[in-house]
Amino acid sequence: MKPTPAQPLSDQSSTMALRWGLVIVFLILEFALITFAIKESIPNDEVRKISGYQPWSEKVVETASQIPVQDGGRVKPFSTYARFQLLSLHGTVSIEIESGGKKRKINPTEWLLDCLFRPELADQLPVFRVDNTDIIKGMGIKVAERRDRFSFSDIGPGYDQIMERGQKLTMESEDRKLKPDEKQLTEFAQQILNYQALTSALDFAREGMRIDPESIPGGVADKSEFQSFSYWVKAFPQVRAAVQRAAAENGGQIPESLRGTLRTMEEYIAKTRFGLNWIPPYDDSKEWRPLGRTITDLIEGRSEQWEPTIADLKTLEELVPLADQPNSEAFLKSLTAWQKDLSKRTDTRGETQLAPDGSPLYSKPVSEKIASEVTYYEKRYFQKGRVFFVIAFVFSMIGWLVTKPLPSKIMQRLTAFVFVVALYYLVSGIISRSLVMSRPPVGNLYDTIPFITAGAVVILGLAELITRRKLLLSLACFLGMAGLFLAFRFEYGDAKDNMDPLVAVLNSNYWLATHVVIVTLGYSGGLVACFLSQVYVHLRLAGVIEKNKSFQRFVTRAVYGIVCFTLLFSLVGTVLGGVWANDSWGRFWGWDPKENGALLIVLWSLTILHARLAGWMSDWGIHLACIFGGMIVAFSWWHVNMLEVGLHSYGFIKGGEMIWLFYIAEAIALIVGAVAYFLHRADKKA
Amino acid sequence: MSASKSAKRPKSLGRKIFDVLAGYHIAVICFVLLFLLTFYGTIEQSWIGLYQAIEKYFDIDSFLVIPRNSSDKVIGPPLPGAYWVIVVLSINMFLGGIIRIRKGWKKAGVLVTHFAILFMLISGAVESLGKKEGMMLVFQGEKSDYAQSYHDETIEVFAYDENGDRTAPVVVSSEELGSLKESDTLTVSAEELPFEMKVTGYLGASEMRMSANAPGAGKVVDGFALNAVERDKTEEMNMAGCYVSIIKDGAEVQELLLWSANQQPVSFNVSGTRYGILLTKKVWPMPFEVELHKTVGEYYPGTRKPSWFQSDITKVADGDRTDYEIVMNDPMRHGGFTLFQARWDEPEGRPYSGFAIVKNPSDRWPEYAIYVAAISMGLHFIFMLGLYVLRSSRPSKKTAS
Repeated sequence: MKPTPAQPLSDQSSTMALRWGLVIVFLILEFALITFAIKESIPNDEVRKISGYQPWSEKVVETASQIPVQDGGRVKPFSTYARFQLLSLHGTVSIEIESGGKKRKINPTEWLLDCLFRPELADQLPVFRVDNTDIIKGMGIKVAERRDRFSFSDIGPGYDQIMERGQKLTMESEDRKLKPDEKQLTEFAQQILNYQALTSALDFAREGMRIDPESIPGGVADKSEFQSFSYWVKAFPQVRAAVQRAAAENGGQIPESLRGTLRTMEEYIAKTRFGLNWIPPYDDSKEWRPLGRTITDLIEGRSEQWEPTIADLKTLEELVPLADQPNSEAFLKSLTAWQKDLSKRTDTRGETQLAPDGSPLYSKPVSEKIASEVTYYEKRYFQKGRVFFVIAFVFSMIGWLVTKPLPSKIMQRLTAFVFVVALYYLVSGIISRSLVMSRPPVGNLYDTIPFITAGAVVILGLAELITRRKLLLSLACFLGMAGLFLAFRFEYGDAKDNMDPLVAVLNSNYWLATHVVIVTLGYSGGLVACFLSQVYVHLRLAGVIEKNKSFQRFVTRAVYGIVCFTLLFSLVGTVLGGVWANDSWGRFWGWDPKENGALLIVLWSLTILHARLAGWMSDWGIHLACIFGGMIVAFSWWHVNMLEVGLHSYGFIKGGEMIWLFYIAEAIALIVGAVAYFLHRADKKA
Repeated sequence: MSASKSAKRPKSLGRKIFDVLAGYHIAVICFVLLFLLTFYGTIEQSWIGLYQAIEKYFDIDSFLVIPRNSSDKVIGPPLPGAYWVIVVLSINMFLGGIIRIRKGWKKAGVLVTHFAILFMLISGAVESLGKKEGMMLVFQGEKSDYAQSYHDETIEVFAYDENGDRTAPVVVSSEELGSLKESDTLTVSAEELPFEMKVTGYLGASEMRMSANAPGAGKVVDGFALNAVERDKTEEMNMAGCYVSIIKDGAEVQELLLWSANQQPVSFNVSGTRYGILLTKKVWPMPFEVELHKTVGEYYPGTRKPSWFQSDITKVADGDRTDYEIVMNDPMRHGGFTLFQARWDEPEGRPYSGFAIVKNPSDRWPEYAIYVAAISMGLHFIFMLGLYVLRSSRPSKKTAS
């Protein structure tokens, strides 16, 4: 067969300037879109000056991070709890401040320690992120930008108005749908209350009973004991009897001194009713409760656990004042003893999560599980993976620009090496999460992001091994980088602990390991085909592969093969989902949005393959169809969760407007493809 | 050679029809139509809900679909109903993917896959024609032998015997009621009843309000009136309502208001006999009885996230007693019926289980089909990949030599 003669350069030279002009315009558009997406999600980050901020020592932070806390239906490390509390308020996992002329970042554990032990400092930290400051305009709060951050002290002037309005709107929400800004205000008011629950949780230990020493009767050996909340809780039965006696004797009148003490007790009980659940129950109940609720149960006769409750109150009363010297040996020692005691009590309770068959999910003591989770977050697998993917991508780009064989080969090797390192971090992160959660790697929307990224990267890596064309490796680096960036943004935006247990019907390791894993690999395939086609149309538009028919054929074949992969995994995954639904809900197929989303990918893949066989789809058609296929994957993967309808209610997400930016980017890519096609036709005619 | 001979021979009409029906073009058109139907049927669920979207797009009675948005504006082209597109696709797959396909090792995977998918589509058709489903609510320590439909409303009329117990009811079927509009009148008579009934003002989604609080609402009966409300996206939440006139010897004896949220029968007297009437979900008698001994519902501590549901039951059928433990993802299957734990609650300390009961003749067919399809398609693609790798490695060897 005769090779196709290469077109003379002059044939294309007339359009080359136009082609490159268009490539630059489209690249600028796409770059602007990405920049807009990133900028939109990052608020004004001014570094706040905080005078007298003394950082916690590493040992204190390390010890505190291991304290067990019950939240979201499971026992987790203090550091994880702090991470998601801070994310929900602040939108990131560190607060940057300047103190004593030095800049420093406060991590979630340090921030939560500040909230509990040094609330006066915590109140100065700009922890509240407000995306639409219009909601607090006119309330006396100083506002700099539309999206801004505020400290609790900043909010002070408008506090009452926010709370009053928030409460009113919450009541109204039962009768009508709130407007977006009204919803934002109620959420903001709730965030402030959550924050206050943390900062006032240990007020009883910090401020004591505030009893005038003069009023303490003579004969009391240890007058300081009178100032402690624990003393009064312990003495409550006697106090109650005294109150009843005094009321009977004085015609219902209670002495003012006693009334004041009762008021203070009531205040502390109210302050400790919410917030951190870090004290395991003294009985066999599963729910860990804040101290305030335990004390209420005691004084209302629903519990008899006086002794351990008083002991814990006393421990905290001893611990809290020591935090005045945050890095003192005494504080560290007391904190360590408190952490060890809580961990031991947690282990003794055999605190665990049950598998569907009733057997414990964890074979190890909970404290070990907590240590593994702390390590998982400390290792920052996905962050490191992202950095290495960026480096690998930069190397691969340099490799494409370098024309001399040796430097090009060196860059290719370097790219491959750094890519393997990045992949190691990505896969290690997925495995570590899976081990910590004691379930297969994908169980919620967040889990899907690193897994789909890994799927895409591995597919491309393997294809690169077979084809050795450099292109697939470059694309793998790009997708690794983009996927892990998405994981990072989603975790920060969602601000929910994605390791929390799954709803009962999902708690099936068999189906999670089969249906979910397979269907998400189908998503990976669809996205890989989409991005590979995007590369193709951009290169065709630039005119750099017009003469290289073999390269064109290679990319088209690769895309076609990946569409086959997508079809296989999407179809099998989708139908297995139906089989699971049949087991759980009694119907194989319910036309639910989540099911339909997966079906759309299957149908589109079938359309591409059969249209190709029918002779209705040329190479150009396949690539344009695959770019459109990327939009379908995005719809199926994300958008259906935003419809908030159907049987997969556990998968609903709010917001997620970023998906429209992705659609716009894909639409631009489709235009690129269409323009490239018409230029190709014009060149051919010429 | 034979190909050139056959190319010269004119094709018969039958052959031409066969070629069209078995062709890729029909397949592609079906896929695109199904794609559009699935897409519009998904987004339209946002405003009309799952049940209505299924009825509009995917039901056997749906022949032509016009996608619309929440303001009732047309948002897409008119499309044929999905059920009938699937029928055409099945015929196409049978003729093209099984009959016409070239038989050989290379295509074996594709052939088996087509067969498995066709089997899956047939199982879907069997399901949509023969499936019955309902909900059985049983309180702990109690028993039940019937389920109720999720959506279909019926009117039950019965006489009370001398002990005040209900006798066998006369039922106005869901088919008759379901097709009624607010302006329609349905006249019902039965041999067992010494009177006629006229059903009017039927509303699929309604609320019952005191007439004083509902100015402009429908007819007032005993101080109450029915008011049409916007249809809820969750079909089970919609409460039907209607007016029933009891007619004896051509004269109206009494006018009654029925509302499906009110599950206490409305009483009336005719010729000295006391009757009860009720608008209720269609009852589906079971060939067995379920005794619920214990039901457990647990949530993850400190949350309302369900962690565990379990019902210990005994199934009693023809005197035979069999014990079952029903948990999530592990239903009871018996004689073509499947019982799933679908609801659990504990109102006023009385726990109950809601069992979804399904009778589906093609219950396990899709499962078998997908295992076959997965293996055959997987093998086919691996085979094709192997061929590609082999082919692409050949020229490089030549170049090297």
